[in-house]
Amino acid sequence: MGMNYYQIKKNARRARKLVIRGTTAAGSGHPGGSFSMAEIMGCLLYKYMRYDPKNPLWEDRDRLVLSKGHASPGLFSNLAVAGFFDEAEIDTLRKLGSRLQGHPDYKCPGVEFCGGSLGIGLSFSIGNALAAKIDSKNHRIFTIIGDGESDEGQVWEAAMTGAKYKVDNMTVILDRNFIQQDSYTEKIMPLDEELTGDDLSEMWKDASRWKLGDKWRSFGWNVIEIDGHRIEQIDAALKKATQTRNTPSIIVARTVKGKGVEHMEDNPKWHGVAPKKEIAPIIDLELDCQFMIAPSIIAGDMANLENEVKRCVEGRADYIHLDVMDGQFVQNTTFDHNKIKELRPLTVIPFDAHLMINEPVKHVNDYINAGCDIVTVHAEVCDESSFGEIKDTLRQNQVGIGLAINPDTNLPEWSFQFLSDLDQLIVMSVVPGKSGQKYIESTHQKTQDLVKVLTEHKFDGFIEADGGVDLTNVGQCFTDGARAFVGGSAIIGQKDVRGVISDFRKEILKARRKLLIKKAYDLGGRDLVNKWIELHLIGDKKTQLIQMAKELGYS
Amino acid sequence: MSETLTDMRSEYGKTLIEIGKENPNVVVLGADTTDSLKTLSFGKEFPDRFFNVGIAEANLVTVAAGLAYAGKTPFASTYAIFLPGRCVDQIRNAIAYPSRDDKNGLNVKLVVSHGGISVGADGGSHQQIEDIAIMRAIPHLTVLIPADTIAVSKLTWIMSQRYGPHYMRMARSATPLIHQESQEFEIGKGIVLRDGTDCTIAACGITVKMALDAADLLKKEGISCRVIDGFSIKPIDENLLEKAAKETGCIVTCEEHNVMGGFGSAVSEVVSERHPVPIKRIGVQDKFGESARDNEIPQLLEKHGISSINIAKVAKEARSRK
Repeated sequence: MGMNYYQIKKNARRARKLVIRGTTAAGSGHPGGSFSMAEIMGCLLYKYMRYDPKNPLWEDRDRLVLSKGHASPGLFSNLAVAGFFDEAEIDTLRKLGSRLQGHPDYKCPGVEFCGGSLGIGLSFSIGNALAAKIDSKNHRIFTIIGDGESDEGQVWEAAMTGAKYKVDNMTVILDRNFIQQDSYTEKIMPLDEELTGDDLSEMWKDASRWKLGDKWRSFGWNVIEIDGHRIEQIDAALKKATQTRNTPSIIVARTVKGKGVEHMEDNPKWHGVAPKKEIAPIIDLELDCQFMIAPSIIAGDMANLENEVKRCVEGRADYIHLDVMDGQFVQNTTFDHNKIKELRPLTVIPFDAHLMINEPVKHVNDYINAGCDIVTVHAEVCDESSFGEIKDTLRQNQVGIGLAINPDTNLPEWSFQFLSDLDQLIVMSVVPGKSGQKYIESTHQKTQDLVKVLTEHKFDGFIEADGGVDLTNVGQCFTDGARAFVGGSAIIGQKDVRGVISDFRKEILKARRKLLIKKAYDLGGRDLVNKWIELHLIGDKKTQLIQMAKELGYS
Repeated sequence: MSETLTDMRSEYGKTLIEIGKENPNVVVLGADTTDSLKTLSFGKEFPDRFFNVGIAEANLVTVAAGLAYAGKTPFASTYAIFLPGRCVDQIRNAIAYPSRDDKNGLNVKLVVSHGGISVGADGGSHQQIEDIAIMRAIPHLTVLIPADTIAVSKLTWIMSQRYGPHYMRMARSATPLIHQESQEFEIGKGIVLRDGTDCTIAACGITVKMALDAADLLKKEGISCRVIDGFSIKPIDENLLEKAAKETGCIVTCEEHNVMGGFGSAVSEVVSERHPVPIKRIGVQDKFGESARDNEIPQLLEKHGISSINIAKVAKEARSRK
């Protein structure tokens, strides 16, 4: 399908929402493992795999085998988003007469493996891959296996077989979410190291304790270890695996079970339970509230941008904001596509190029070629025709489409027709041109007003707050409706980039929690607020939420 | 009269090569028993269509399922004890269950040797006496037990041309020829080897020969027996059994399998519903087998009542209950 980073992200969000819709309607199912593989599924279905939803059995299609079959709501939802069937069909999940069975089944178009019995999907995939080799076919087999099912001996029988027959036309992705039905994997049957106590977070963070990759390496596999929620890492790993010859490849993707919903994350209770009907709308809102942080490196050492990129990577930024200034549209000059091209090999983190230049339509290809993942141009220097051209060019090249407006600019009328195509809208909260300015307070109201216009025009991208965003106002920016946050001096100007990004996240999380408490209150008063808070079993979330609800007067 | 004994596995291996030459879609899989199952020669002839996955039967079965899903016609073979006995989950969920449109199950052929207690020396741990019960309880599966090498060859050909999951059980020991080369085989149709009016002996596998011998013995006593080779355990030939019940009034079944859930059970189910008559089931009486050297195998079978003499005796009992 060849979609860009943002489209994949949006589709993953859409699929997650369908998982909630389906499992809630069914009253059972497995949302946790569906969410841990959401981004993996997204990269596969919306970027890598060749298929035709109108002709699901097309001979040369790539095959997707979901070995961890209980995550079928995640598979079905993505197949619906990919166009194999109508999204409304998710309401029939697990019901009598449905094509959407409790576990993947050929009744459902797009399903390639009837999963359910664990530990057998890899062998099945190898059979498919061997057949493709006999027939000199070029299609690939993509197989998602779980960590819990890796307890099954057959997984390791298949591992040996894959190595013996040099099955390189198959890519295996291990959804390493650290949780199986009874509890944490490292408690039930350690794949890395036995977990003592209940704090999984230490295990997740400490790379020296991960041994699962070594197991696969010792079986003769090409092992790629990544963060399985970072689309750019999945993307890079899939590329590498696809290019590896004569050796089977496995991507060990570390993930979070229930990822995307705070009370589900890392909580073994959400392995095989559906959300309660009254909670579902709150979860739905939470899924709409995913956010990203993008440091702007011009706030750092302009003479050593390479190092600034490195700081962003180490600081766990979601993407890197690159302010391109031409000295004409704005007074300052920063760098152009040539510099971006130099920086590109340093990281796979998405480059968010914000072009503050005149006549962007003339330059957009340069930025595509430089390796930008999203290119944002200013409304002030575009019109219907030039932006239409920019949009098409970006889309064709799988690059995200962004539009920016200055503090004194409103969305021009010509842009309305493009709003549903936009991946990002930058709402400038300082006059562009230099770093270190103060946030213009009226932008809060402006953003809130914009949300209404954007919703009317079916915008489903991300509003990016850019200019003077810091720890004091980022929470309010989130409440306004922004979902991506550019941090200049407030992030890159600080010594501890990782620390400050983490603080940004905490502030945004606080604002998000307030929003969700309010939503719960609106839907079901104090009772529902309390019920929802009760679900937050892991860590100290519950205590924090109780405190917050009290302060808000909702508890 | 000395009989010519022929080897089922050799016939199977030879037939696979013949089929392989005609049908490029046929692939063969083994699990470290390819020399014994005589499939190794297929591997020498078609190295790209032959896979030995080692001692990993669950993997064997599921890799075969994947090959079948991709359009191949895989024959996966090892000893009986290691397929139904060990891999019922994979056979059920990876082969029999997956169905699309009118295709029930995947097109995998599971062909095993060393069925029943006539395995001999390897002992009870290696004598599969539960496979018929296991396999016929799984929807979509066809279950076959050939009585001789002619049946082996013909059924192997049929399986290669007939869509769907099939299970065929061969015996370890060399067996005498029962059928003529011209004998036609059809899945779901039993073969009447000898007509008779007083009693029907329905048998499968190596016990078909015993049934014929028993009929000879009874003939000397003036009892006319109908002998049926019930090689198609599932689907079973209901009409033929009903007809036999009506025309001969009693039935004796014979198999080297536990009498619970096996061929005798299958026959009883049909007859009791369609035309109830006295039935006696000869087979392993819910016990395990034990070791026996090759020359002791007839004694081992005899110990479980699986012999022509006992069939004749039981047939008379059945007849007396008419």
